[in-house]
Amino acid sequence: MQPEQKLSFVDRLRIMRETRFGAFVPVLLALAAIWAYFGLAVPLWEYWGDADAQNIRFIFLSPRNIYNLFMQSAVIATLAVGITVVLLLGDIDLSAAATAGVCAALLGVLVLAGVPGPIACLIVMAVGIIMGTAQGILVAYVGIPSFVVTLAGLLGFQGLMQKILPTGNLNVGDPFVRGFARVLLPDTLGWVLALACIAVFAWLNLRKQGQRKARGLDLDSKAAVWGQIVFFGALMLATVATLNSYRSVPLLIVLLMAITALIGWVTTSTPYGRSIFAVGGNPESARRVGMNVKRIRVSAFAIVGLMAAIGGIFGASRFGSVSYTAFAGGSLLLESIGAAVIGGTSLFGGRGSVWNAILGALVIGSLGNGLDLSGASAADKLMFSGAILLLAVAIDAVSRSGTSER
Amino acid sequence: MSEHENKVGQAAPSPHLRVSGIHKRFGGVHALRGVDFEVARGEVMALVGDNGAGKSTLMKVLAGAHAADEGQFFMDEAPVSVNTPHDASDLGIQIVYQDLALCENLDVSANLSLGAEPVKAGWGFLPRLLRPLDDLEMEVKAQAAIDRLQVRTLQSVRAKVGGLSGGQRQAIAIARAVGADGSVVMLDEPTAALGVAQTRQVLDVVKRLRDTGHAVVYISHNMRDIFEVADRICVLRHGGNVATWRKDDTTPDEIVVAMTRGLDDEAGNAA
Ligand SMILES: Nc1ncnc2c1ncn2[C@@H]1O[C@H](COP(=O)(O)OP(=O)(O)O)[C@@H](O)[C@H]1O
Ligand SMILES: [Mg+2]
Repeated sequence: MQPEQKLSFVDRLRIMRETRFGAFVPVLLALAAIWAYFGLAVPLWEYWGDADAQNIRFIFLSPRNIYNLFMQSAVIATLAVGITVVLLLGDIDLSAAATAGVCAALLGVLVLAGVPGPIACLIVMAVGIIMGTAQGILVAYVGIPSFVVTLAGLLGFQGLMQKILPTGNLNVGDPFVRGFARVLLPDTLGWVLALACIAVFAWLNLRKQGQRKARGLDLDSKAAVWGQIVFFGALMLATVATLNSYRSVPLLIVLLMAITALIGWVTTSTPYGRSIFAVGGNPESARRVGMNVKRIRVSAFAIVGLMAAIGGIFGASRFGSVSYTAFAGGSLLLESIGAAVIGGTSLFGGRGSVWNAILGALVIGSLGNGLDLSGASAADKLMFSGAILLLAVAIDAVSRSGTSER
Repeated sequence: MSEHENKVGQAAPSPHLRVSGIHKRFGGVHALRGVDFEVARGEVMALVGDNGAGKSTLMKVLAGAHAADEGQFFMDEAPVSVNTPHDASDLGIQIVYQDLALCENLDVSANLSLGAEPVKAGWGFLPRLLRPLDDLEMEVKAQAAIDRLQVRTLQSVRAKVGGLSGGQRQAIAIARAVGADGSVVMLDEPTAALGVAQTRQVLDVVKRLRDTGHAVVYISHNMRDIFEVADRICVLRHGGNVATWRKDDTTPDEIVVAMTRGLDDEAGNAA
């Protein structure tokens, strides 16, 4: 009796994770649980436990904190989106945070030397692409496992960052660079943008449904289609409302969403993206249908290099400075790999999505933020993050074993 | 000696695909040692041999999945070169691999068009790899290919291959090769994982391909199936040719002996 029950649960998990929106469910549940804990349970507990308390203080769920949470998670999310692309191939990139560090340091040095901000950003992005591509070539053409190549990259780039920043710290005052985090969209523009996104999302979904009907293909249920649209709309409007009620939507978040949308589209809706999934699922099949597996590998590492550079720019913009600990030497790497995996991207390749990485970054960001607010020590934070990561990988492994048992 | 000449088939139809002197080494393993092979349109050529004889390696060389170390390729007697899978599919050579070569993480329609995905029109300014996929076209094609094969148990072309049964996967791999209208279809042990009814379906597909003028290569260990569908039978042993017989001129026993011992015992020479 017991084993049967267990199997059917695993089966259900697997089936759910294979649907397009079902893959979001575990990470959304994790996010809801963390928000409920830090947002509701902790304040209530403090209120009841403290006789002097005048009223309940919902600090975690305050618009101000949510705003900070988004900004804190943005750099993690940027790297996690890039890392997701290599994870889809079944590879890993341990050097992403160090690459981001080198790029951020270089950016700081360049703007200090008087290079205009936009040009410095472009140079840094090119450097990120080159760093990623070089590692990709070692993985694909020399045949060294990505784990080893990027571990070497992690060490080497950490050293390189220290070479660029001998003091370990540099302030970045360039108005263009600072602008990413400082520029806020006017409230109305935020609303207009959100409504436009919802309209486009709805239009694309309904048009696809119409085309399916015209071609005589089996249709998604009406409830599912409209459910998706309503869910997406609610998410967008709630986000904009929250951000607007503190300040308003930061340019950084808009850019992150736009980049993620672009990479999400490329990975799911183009022959190139299809080949990434094919290589992740079965590289030998991909090779035998004529896909250039090596070039695809290199390109994925180029993408993660680019995303790391963008993460470096965003980080420098948000902090107004570049420091060794904020990038290469700190917890950024593990947080961004954790974000990708918690989002539901498989470490075994072939399964996942960049949108899940964004949600995973929010999980990691919320966890850190909530623990900070409740005065937890750094040790507690590490242990909590470890447990969450383990749980996410366990879900991945279990839902995968459900597949291969057939 | 004259008997042997008969076996190579003087009356054989003119070949559509022909290779000669194919060598393939994997490090120290000399898997193919100068193999000659041919198949004509409207014919089923069976390829038999013991495990490790080199049948799958020969098929992979013909499909461009392995580049031959030496050897010539001819299509309708014109020399061609086949070094990549694209070369082979451009020449109309399609294959069902022994291991099926499906991606379990992708759905049926994605697997059926893998490597040749249709893209939407009107995006010519983008490189082909970055144009939007026409996934509806993919599904329509997949549905048509599946319907032709009559895989009744398959619920949706949007099902992930990882969740399908062995027989269903086999059918999808066959549908992929048959659906991509080529002139040569090679099936590497397509019935190994199948039950009686499904094997029958595959044999029917093979016959239908022959009747529609395809050149068909069929690998199997089942002599009954081979003698049912094959027109000629080519025997490989230790990476070399033993001989090729017309089906009507031989018997299952003779083939089994040739597979296991070659021709030495019976012909009394090294041929
Ligand atoms: N990729 C490979 N690497 C090394 N050896 C191989 C490879 N593929 C096949 N072989 C060897 O080549 C020989 C022929 O194999 P194969 O063509 O699979 O035989 P068959 O299909 O007739 O059973 C075997 O000895 C096998 O071990
Ligand atoms: Mg074989």
